[in-house]
Amino acid sequence: MSASTLTPILLQSISTQLHSLSSPLFHFPTSRFSFNRKLKHPISSKPASILTPHAALSDPFVLQIAETFEDSLSSSTTPSPLQKLRDSSSESLLSLSWPTRKDEPFRFTDTSFIKSSEIQPITNPPQDSDFSGISLDTQLPYLTIIDGYIADSLSGLSGLPDGVFVGSLSKLPSDGMVKRVAEFVSNFEGDLFWSLNGVGAPDMVVVYVPEGCRVDTHLHLRYCSMKGSDFGSNKLPVSNPRVLVLVEKGGEVGIVEEFVGEDGNKCYWTNSVTEFIIGEGASVNHSYIQTQSLGAANIKWTSVRQDSGSTYKLVEFSSGGKLSRHNLHVQQVGPDTVTELSTLHLSINDQTQDLHSSLVLDHPRGYTNQLHKCIVAHPHGQAVFDGNVKVNRCAQQTDAGQLTRSLLLVPQATVNVKPNLQIIADDVKCSHGAAISDLELDQLFYFQARGIDQVTARKALVFSFGAEVIERIPVASLREKAKSHISELLDPTIENSIT
Amino acid sequence: MAMAHCYTCSISSNFFSNPKFHSNNSPPFPKLFTLSAIRLPQFRSNSLAVDSTTSYPLEKDDKKLLLQVNDLTAVIAESQQTILNGVNLTVYEGEVHAIMGKNGSGKSTLSKVLVGHPDYEVTGGTMTFKGQNLLEMDPEERSLSGIFMSFQSPVAIPGVSNADFLNMAYNARQRKLGLPELGPIEFFSHVYSKLDLVNMKMDFLNRNVNEGFSGGERKRNEILQLAVLGADLAILDEIDSGLDIDALQDVAKAVNGLLTSNNSVLMITHYQRLLEYIKPAYIHIMRYTTLSFEVP
Repeated sequence: MSASTLTPILLQSISTQLHSLSSPLFHFPTSRFSFNRKLKHPISSKPASILTPHAALSDPFVLQIAETFEDSLSSSTTPSPLQKLRDSSSESLLSLSWPTRKDEPFRFTDTSFIKSSEIQPITNPPQDSDFSGISLDTQLPYLTIIDGYIADSLSGLSGLPDGVFVGSLSKLPSDGMVKRVAEFVSNFEGDLFWSLNGVGAPDMVVVYVPEGCRVDTHLHLRYCSMKGSDFGSNKLPVSNPRVLVLVEKGGEVGIVEEFVGEDGNKCYWTNSVTEFIIGEGASVNHSYIQTQSLGAANIKWTSVRQDSGSTYKLVEFSSGGKLSRHNLHVQQVGPDTVTELSTLHLSINDQTQDLHSSLVLDHPRGYTNQLHKCIVAHPHGQAVFDGNVKVNRCAQQTDAGQLTRSLLLVPQATVNVKPNLQIIADDVKCSHGAAISDLELDQLFYFQARGIDQVTARKALVFSFGAEVIERIPVASLREKAKSHISELLDPTIENSIT
Repeated sequence: MAMAHCYTCSISSNFFSNPKFHSNNSPPFPKLFTLSAIRLPQFRSNSLAVDSTTSYPLEKDDKKLLLQVNDLTAVIAESQQTILNGVNLTVYEGEVHAIMGKNGSGKSTLSKVLVGHPDYEVTGGTMTFKGQNLLEMDPEERSLSGIFMSFQSPVAIPGVSNADFLNMAYNARQRKLGLPELGPIEFFSHVYSKLDLVNMKMDFLNRNVNEGFSGGERKRNEILQLAVLGADLAILDEIDSGLDIDALQDVAKAVNGLLTSNNSVLMITHYQRLLEYIKPAYIHIMRYTTLSFEVP
């Protein structure tokens, strides 16, 4: 039995490679690069930069950012996996250029706001005295990451089972674990932002769940941004948080990633990367909640590697940022995997919410289900979705479903969606769908016919649209928080749209 | 001819003053024909043509005039196609009326026009309810003033629970009446007592509005809403379609239980069997021609 659906558009959906990395021209004789041509910091353990002639093909702007990142890092000894990451990232950066609207993955996503700002890496770890403004309201074991640096004084990790490690790479308790982590570092090629994070990450947070260990609580990773510039100052402090979650065979853990900004319109750029390595039969429940400041750029990579019989569930709620882009890559490395992705994006202001997801199935009997929803309620608001599912030749008996639904509440609100399935296997069950609409008039009328006024009815309907995703957040307190956040954001918008 | 059954027809005095009465030509658009129904009449085709624009007294046998529709014409908003052409209808309080007629004759349209559905535009005539001009009222105002329409096929509203929906509607009514609103818990106990009326279980309230409901459950849900919200005029649009005999009896029992000497029911139906359970005082027939049958 085969029931496969193919959009014509997917044939054009393969993203244009900026440069062919496999070209022999780009073979570098040495594995270590530095962008620091000025040789101002001879203390660096790295050899002084010798940029090969090929570098002439590089994007000077990208090199310049990489250089400032490199300058910003402290010269103290770097654990070897992190050094390996920096080296490989530096190497890929040489052939990457800043994306433009002509590049398919950024066709609808304008990153020029970052490019035109003065990018300033955040060099100093935050001081304890700065933390007064940060509220703690979580019942879960938590780790706070401020501007890319772990804040130990704002972390409480009690309640985790023995053998579970959460903390900086440099504090890993055994060499065996360091080796294990090193196996998975820089195994994946993302895009420019992935590599920039690799060069600029001051530290790597490691979450390690040993074999057979079931963590019955969720671990709350709170990413805070303290160094923001004022709106209009054209300065963009940037942080590069990096997290690696390694769950060994049969392990189970819930991870909550919450990105919060300071109040107001502070400008900063969070360029984060989180990698999940999910072992055989292991299970990860991932919640990603993003409520950054409305002047911020939030670019996030999530890369997931799923071994046989493993489960990965993601629930995302994203409403903050001037530009918020989530790149999600799920790679199947064994059969019988379960992958469930649910996303709710809210563009209530002049902002862009973007999800680029790609699921690659290379093994039989995988099950994937993706639900993407977005609400745009501003004439300059925009939502972008590019959801790619590749069912390759060996991925027989895959069951893949994908649905995207968008709600455009005001005239001129924009959504660009491109759900696409690429199916090569011939014994699969795949479905996908896309719907873009205002609220259903029949539903609105049903409310009115029962005496409920339009404002209340619209609120209830918009809220219920988002509730389908919000209800899937596994932690009750976060669910409630997300709900009240949505009401706060939507209530005034809906009231204005009626009057 | 069916006229023989017209014993106490309320409008018989107008029969002969109506010039159209003598016309045997089929009218090109839907019309309402009224028969009294002390005993169920045996209808024959094109039996009676009554089209009265005479005004009615505000009270009849101490009953107040509830709804008066005069010479109502309406079009489909999108295509501007005429779908009601000169409909007259008068309902006093405490009366049960039934409208019958073939598919596409405009029965449901009339009920939707009465509650202000945006798919239709009224192009002429008047509609007054309790002395208020319905044409000037929004759908929610019409509902709050006491008109309830049970939908022929109510929409599902995923993500909104039945209890929340009813609570919102109930509180809107309380606000209108200047009475205190009920919180979710108080409301739950209020609505719980009404569940027996429609023979439904508790979990009915926790399910999303009409989502995954069977045909029978949807109809029961409409009547539950009527029971919770109350109404001076309940318009039941094909409340019997898709119901098995038990469900029909349940629904009819619930409706009869809600009837008092002050409120009225306007039923729209294809089937005589409903009329055996809810006894109407008047039966109106909506007639149409081929032309109006083409209305989508």
